[in-house]
Amino acid sequence: MPRDQGARLALTQRQAAAILLLPFLAVYGVFLVYPFFKGVWISLHDWNLMAVAFNPDAKTYVGLRNYERVMWGQNITWGALANPGFQIVGFLGVVASYLLYRTGRAARVTALAMGIAGLLLFVLPGFHPGEGGRWFDRRFWPTVGNTILFVGLAVPGVTITAMLLAAALDGETRAKAVLRTLFFLSQVLSVTVVTLIWQIMFSPRQGLIANLTTLFGGSPIVWLTAEGFAMAAIVIATIWWSLGIAMILFLAGLQDISRDLYEAGALDNATGAKAFWYITLPNLKRTITVVVVLQIILHFQVFGQAHLMTGGGPNDTTQVLVRYIYQTAFRDSELGRASAMAVFLFVIMGAFSILQFVLGREKDE
Amino acid sequence: MKHAILGAAALALLATGVVAQEVTLGRFFGDCEDAGTDTKASVGEACIIQSIINAADAQLVGVSVNTLPTDWGNYYDQIKAAYAGGTPPSVHVMHRHRVPEFASLGALADLTDDLEAAGIDPNDWEAAALEAVTYNDRIMGVPMDFHANLWHVNMDLMDAAGLVENGAPVLPTSPEEMLEHARAVKEATGQDYLAADFAQFPIGVRVVLALLWQQGSNIFDGDMATIDTPEARTAISAITQLFDDGLANPQLNYADSQQAFLNGEAAVLVNGTWVVDFYSAEAAKDDEGLNTYFVADFPTLFDEGATWADSHMWAIPAPLKANDADTYAAALQVLAFINDHNIDWARTGHMAVRTSVLASDEYAALPHRDEYTGTADIARDTPPSVRYGAIQDVLNREFQAIWLTGKSVDAALADAQADVQDLLDR
Repeated sequence: MPRDQGARLALTQRQAAAILLLPFLAVYGVFLVYPFFKGVWISLHDWNLMAVAFNPDAKTYVGLRNYERVMWGQNITWGALANPGFQIVGFLGVVASYLLYRTGRAARVTALAMGIAGLLLFVLPGFHPGEGGRWFDRRFWPTVGNTILFVGLAVPGVTITAMLLAAALDGETRAKAVLRTLFFLSQVLSVTVVTLIWQIMFSPRQGLIANLTTLFGGSPIVWLTAEGFAMAAIVIATIWWSLGIAMILFLAGLQDISRDLYEAGALDNATGAKAFWYITLPNLKRTITVVVVLQIILHFQVFGQAHLMTGGGPNDTTQVLVRYIYQTAFRDSELGRASAMAVFLFVIMGAFSILQFVLGREKDE
Repeated sequence: MKHAILGAAALALLATGVVAQEVTLGRFFGDCEDAGTDTKASVGEACIIQSIINAADAQLVGVSVNTLPTDWGNYYDQIKAAYAGGTPPSVHVMHRHRVPEFASLGALADLTDDLEAAGIDPNDWEAAALEAVTYNDRIMGVPMDFHANLWHVNMDLMDAAGLVENGAPVLPTSPEEMLEHARAVKEATGQDYLAADFAQFPIGVRVVLALLWQQGSNIFDGDMATIDTPEARTAISAITQLFDDGLANPQLNYADSQQAFLNGEAAVLVNGTWVVDFYSAEAAKDDEGLNTYFVADFPTLFDEGATWADSHMWAIPAPLKANDADTYAAALQVLAFINDHNIDWARTGHMAVRTSVLASDEYAALPHRDEYTGTADIARDTPPSVRYGAIQDVLNREFQAIWLTGKSVDAALADAQADVQDLLDR
């Protein structure tokens, strides 16, 4: 009798999996999937944040007009050399990916990803307003450009600094352990604290950096309001802030490298920098990929640093995408337009997530 | 068991009747940790307003006031998000310039018929104050002050440059004269003539706007942007000539420009009425820097007097009036209390809104009050617009681009014109 009861209650593996997954799927659906599709839906409407709150019918369906108003313009044309800097790099990227694939130095997916990125870099910056034309929103693409520039500076900055630190602090002495903790500490601070610290550091009147420049006879740089320095300032603060996790990942990667390799290398006279270049770096390739892609996804969402330190200035040089979305949604109450920009950001980050997925699978092939 | 439940319910009912009605309050002005309840002793905007709120909390029977944490820079974003989420504070401070945006959506409670019962007399308000809180002939808030840009003057530096007559500073009457004065200050003292936040908050914008209004021009008229004009070029060059000659530094933000003035590194600081009591207190300190402080009306460099001005006011959300009569009544009591303490708020340096306060001896005796009596007559602002915040940001960005990044005036004005027109068209 008890056996029968037990048999009746027994679940197949599939059923058990479904039950165990249910809580996660419910939370995921309610807090991630539903808001995402709601965001896409909002982006198809003329939707005023406050007006809709007071009158749910105060929105109108406008189709893709928000996307057009944000990304397109009047009389837009395309030229192969409209924006030579980006387009030449893009073109070279396409050529390089093809060559790397043909010579067997890059796997098919890697070459494909690189080729697509190069193609986009060649095609997208080629669009520009023709004679008498203008962008409907002349700030959107420069803002995207600023965000890419920020990512382009912060990601190599974090990766290289974290890798060097990890290589220097990999070991079992007490001092190294203390230093590892110290370098990780900045990661636990909130963006408000980090920006406050760096605003003081960069202040031309009381900042540490200004004091040092004056000590050596220079005149202090007004970092946060000088055109050439504002972006550098938020990049520096960001590198300092997000070093910790990358360093930990590199330390884990370093500890995975077999000691035998170094011993063998030492026999061949490869020590110090040589060992780092020929043994450590190649073995860290996968960790570097993970760190770079994670950082790219993370830093595309930069907001606090630009919002709190420079307010997007001077002259919009540090205006970044999330801050523009925030201002459009809350200052201007234009939720539809802001959602269209957010969907654009999602596409970019989605592309990098796919790239990470593809690169991650390559190992198993 | 039944009796026990009924007894507990009765007790709970009794308790809620006795517990004070909670009024949540949203405000900017910054934090003050130990404001206390003495509304006559606190110094500075943050502490004076908080002492008034604390006093309301302590003195109003059956009402407790809970000040919500808000951040100055993102205040309106927070308030809007709270409205959109259906949880606005019971009362909140706002600027006159935001009334069109909030009232046009029906966000603000119509207080017209409830003020007198709450002990607030709208007839005691200055005409301009009543106008500030009125939307479509209905009163949507309780005004608290007029505030405006002033010239805060370091008299020692002006004296050294020979720019003091009869105990008052000699102020320029034209852009050319301003340049002469600035050179005189630089030669005599080595210090800058003028400081202001030209790099962060829109104080630089407000200076240019004042010079625009002084020429009878404005940034838009109806739904037409009118920024790209000769008047705008004249107004901007009046300021940039000081930057170009090294007589003012455009790179200082609010805190740095204020510090420069307090350190005695600038003869004039352009800033609002809200810092008069703070600068008086700083000047009274026996240290280096600012020692002899004077407050002057914004000078007239062109045809007519004009300075940027606005009003702070308190509003109650419409949903509160519609859905929660008890809290609404308590919220009105809090507004009446703030209205009763108009003289205490005026201690900041702001101009009072109640005629009875303006006529009082106590008001006349406030420090430096007699030095900027002309400001009320020249107070101006841009035309009302639901896009005020975004338009200010456009001007701030483009004007800063001129003096911080060397963007040409033509390009900046053309961009500002296009962007403001785009906002007006939306």
